[in-house]
Amino acid sequence: MSGTGSDGVYVESTIIMTTVRVIAPFVFTFGLFVMFHGAESAGGGFQGGVLVAAAVLLLAFAFGIDATRAWLAGPLTRTAIAGGGAAFALIGVGAIVLDGAFLEYVAYDVGSTGVKYGIELVELGIGAVVSGVLVGLFFSLASGDFTTSTGDAPDNERDAATPGGEEA
Amino acid sequence: MTSEAIVLAAVLTFSALGAAAAILLRDVLNAIIAFAAFSFGIATVWVLLAAPDVALTEAAVGAGITTVFFLVTIAKTVRPGGERLFERIEWRSVAVVAILSGALLATVGSLPAVGAADAPVATSPVTEYYLANAYSETGVENAVTAVLAAYRGFDTFGEATVVISAGVAVLLVLRQEAYV
Repeated sequence: MSGTGSDGVYVESTIIMTTVRVIAPFVFTFGLFVMFHGAESAGGGFQGGVLVAAAVLLLAFAFGIDATRAWLAGPLTRTAIAGGGAAFALIGVGAIVLDGAFLEYVAYDVGSTGVKYGIELVELGIGAVVSGVLVGLFFSLASGDFTTSTGDAPDNERDAATPGGEEA
Repeated sequence: MTSEAIVLAAVLTFSALGAAAAILLRDVLNAIIAFAAFSFGIATVWVLLAAPDVALTEAAVGAGITTVFFLVTIAKTVRPGGERLFERIEWRSVAVVAILSGALLATVGSLPAVGAADAPVATSPVTEYYLANAYSETGVENAVTAVLAAYRGFDTFGEATVVISAGVAVLLVLRQEAYV
């Protein structure tokens, strides 16, 4: 976690940036693989969503938390959280509309693999929810304006009261 | 002892040492790293016990994301001074932990052995139904996914709702002007 220097300013590290540049795409792809392939092997939407979030966190460490937040600015995480939940709910309610029970994939009647595709869509929705919550949580924790209210915090080697201070 | 049991014992010992270090180390950063090692050990235990879905969750959440969140959080805290490596032991806390652990360990004797063929979960007609029909009814080869997303889909929907509600609540509490 050497993304920022002791004065709270982001310091570039060639080793970390290069490593993350190589690894992050694979982590991201593996996260999607775990989400999609949860039907055939270990994994599922929850685990895959965590891995996708981990890829974003890697980028934040390598290229600076503020820079990554600016890159992800806008309603992206909110859309992921709400959209994932809505997709899950719509798939469930849609089956009721088509005279089935909640989440009764057979009601969609789209052939022998229809159930499997329905399950994979639900997994994707869960993955979007989980990754959106974790990424939003990370950026909220890391920006950390909520600690600055303790104005009487003693000076120490961590410079704790500085917003976006040293990341351990 | 079979070689599997030896590996399991070794990983469990590693996990126990990691947990002890996480409790005893005085510096929070050291404790967090020890806790991540503990989580990694437990994830390996799940793999050895043939529960890859749980292992993946433990490794990604316990050893990965949680560690990062802890690190980001302690970056805002004050590091206690002093040279001591280990925390002073609080005997009242030890007593509470001993009582709780004792109560939990007392139930271990009534659990079926790991992998026992006559364990209730293995002989239950529900289990047999899932194993016999999951593939033909859902088309997915991972029976865990079939249960989570199809047979128990409503429960999973509840879990997703919990994640959304908790996430939205925390994001609102930590709300920043620039973000969320």
